Amino acid sequence: MRYLAGRTVYMLIILAISSVAVFYAIRLSGGDATAARLPASATEADRETLREVLGLNDPIYQQYFTYMGRLLSGDLGNSLTNNALISKMVIEHGRNSIILGAAAFLLVFLVGVPLGMLASVRRNTFTDQGIMSLSVAGMAVPNFWLALLSIWLFASVLGWLPSAGCCEPKQLILPAIVLAAEGTALTVRMTRSAMLENLDSDWVRTLRAGGLSEARVIGKHVFRNALIPIISLAGLRIGQIVGYALIVEVIFGWPGLGQVLVNAVLRRDYPVAQFFSLVLVVMVVLGNWFADLGYLAANPRLRKI
Amino acid sequence: MTASTPESYLSEWDRRLLEFEESRHISVFRRGMRNLVRNRLLLSGVILGLLVVGAGVLGPVIAGGDYELINFSNIHAAPFSEDALLGTDHLGRDTATRLFVAIRVSLAVAVGVTGLALVAGLAIGTVAGFRGGWTDRSLSGVMDFIWGFPLILVAVLFAGGLGEGLLSVILAVGLVNMAAIARVVRGEVLSLSEREFIEAARAGGLSNWRIIRKHLLPNILAPALVLASYYVAVAIIAEAALSFIGLGAQPPLPSLGQMVAEGRNFLQLNHWETTVPGLALVAMVLSVSLIGDGLRDVFDPRLRHEAKGLES
Repeated sequence: MRYLAGRTVYMLIILAISSVAVFYAIRLSGGDATAARLPASATEADRETLREVLGLNDPIYQQYFTYMGRLLSGDLGNSLTNNALISKMVIEHGRNSIILGAAAFLLVFLVGVPLGMLASVRRNTFTDQGIMSLSVAGMAVPNFWLALLSIWLFASVLGWLPSAGCCEPKQLILPAIVLAAEGTALTVRMTRSAMLENLDSDWVRTLRAGGLSEARVIGKHVFRNALIPIISLAGLRIGQIVGYALIVEVIFGWPGLGQVLVNAVLRRDYPVAQFFSLVLVVMVVLGNWFADLGYLAANPRLRKI
Repeated sequence: MTASTPESYLSEWDRRLLEFEESRHISVFRRGMRNLVRNRLLLSGVILGLLVVGAGVLGPVIAGGDYELINFSNIHAAPFSEDALLGTDHLGRDTATRLFVAIRVSLAVAVGVTGLALVAGLAIGTVAGFRGGWTDRSLSGVMDFIWGFPLILVAVLFAGGLGEGLLSVILAVGLVNMAAIARVVRGEVLSLSEREFIEAARAGGLSNWRIIRKHLLPNILAPALVLASYYVAVAIIAEAALSFIGLGAQPPLPSLGQMVAEGRNFLQLNHWETTVPGLALVAMVLSVSLIGDGLRDVFDPRLRHEAKGLES
């Protein structure tokens, strides 16, 4: 329990520090925040009034507490470019991001674990080498390059799938696969090595000697043990997916949180950039915390401390 | 990619050679040079790398030409057309000229990021591992904190704070890679500090600075360099990805990711505008990975352990 409490306190501290860091980073922005809202012909007096209205002339730490107070009361403010309510934007785009992220997350495990098991059972055969070469490729190819290749192949040449857009199931396939590629490759490798470690162990030999069928040894006993490290590292995949989503969403025109954040940064729409980066940072921190919890689940010894 | 484990990598002849070199105190780097020639993967990586570096450093000088020059009378030209070796893009700019400059940008980012990450990572990791106690706890805490965030997200935050451009990319990627290197270096230093030769140096009354400089650094430099070669690839890919989404190199300065992004709208018309920078990117990453894998084979500390084990 102490481990759990310790990691939770640590998570909350990290959350507080990173919210301050994100806030400062975006507020210190070199660009003029008023440029996004006012036309180029606006006078300096107009800009000054807007800064005053937006509270940009207060000291930054004061702005931080004002901002956090507003967030807690549910007032997220408006976009500077089209005046849309940020609370509405986050619900709409957040839903899209969760669909894409969840699809990628499921793919990582539903494809990665069986392939890793297959490779370990067929150790050193053609199947094993084929799967492992694929996984090396999956880790080596930059995902934006993979995205372009898949668009070229499946959209332009074969015409099977749409190249971009949202939110038909057909349009989800390519971005989800590209987003999942690296995590799947890692999961294949981890599953294979975890399975092999158990397959070679003495207790497996004992089970076999006891006359248990190979399917039962692998399916029930080895697989369960191999699953522990995979589950315990599942939380880390969340952070990875959040990071890559920034690029994949832009390429495939998937209107999720990442795409909005990148556009907001490019347009200097700082209230949007502020809140959406905060959302993504919170997701990453929570993902890392889940990884800690998974570690706890996988290591019963930690529970006694 | 290299399937060679240390055990299979060492033939009986290799073992004897290593043993001989250990006894004669032939330096790690001279042994490295010998292995460089014998290790084909490393050699091909080095050759490919030299080609890429040559293209980036000498290309713009030799090819000349203005990478910003727009020529609407000759857009989407195919490769090997008159006076455009690799064709032109949607503004009629010469792809070859832009490619050389883009490779140069990529190299500059890779060198900047890795230099920053390696120097800072080595310094922080060594101090944390060597001093221990509160110094270690606070430094490691900060490094873990940074390392916990995905690289692209950090880079987007930097772009939000400092404005998009290569400076943000270098600082963000450098920061995350620094944390990664510092974590590994700290671990290495911690395990080395337990060893007898460091204890002996302490007992001998050497100053901390001297122990670090003369005894610790030479032992962690090889693994740190191998690690750094991996992060060169990370830096190249990250820069390309960020330039691709518009947060990296700003036009008119070309970069590989940005050229790929610009060309992808004209895939049907002239796919070379995308394929050429894409292949250059693959070549860069491939050469760095080959060099990294080769270096790991050559400098792998486990190899030296084995040789020492044979000696005693």
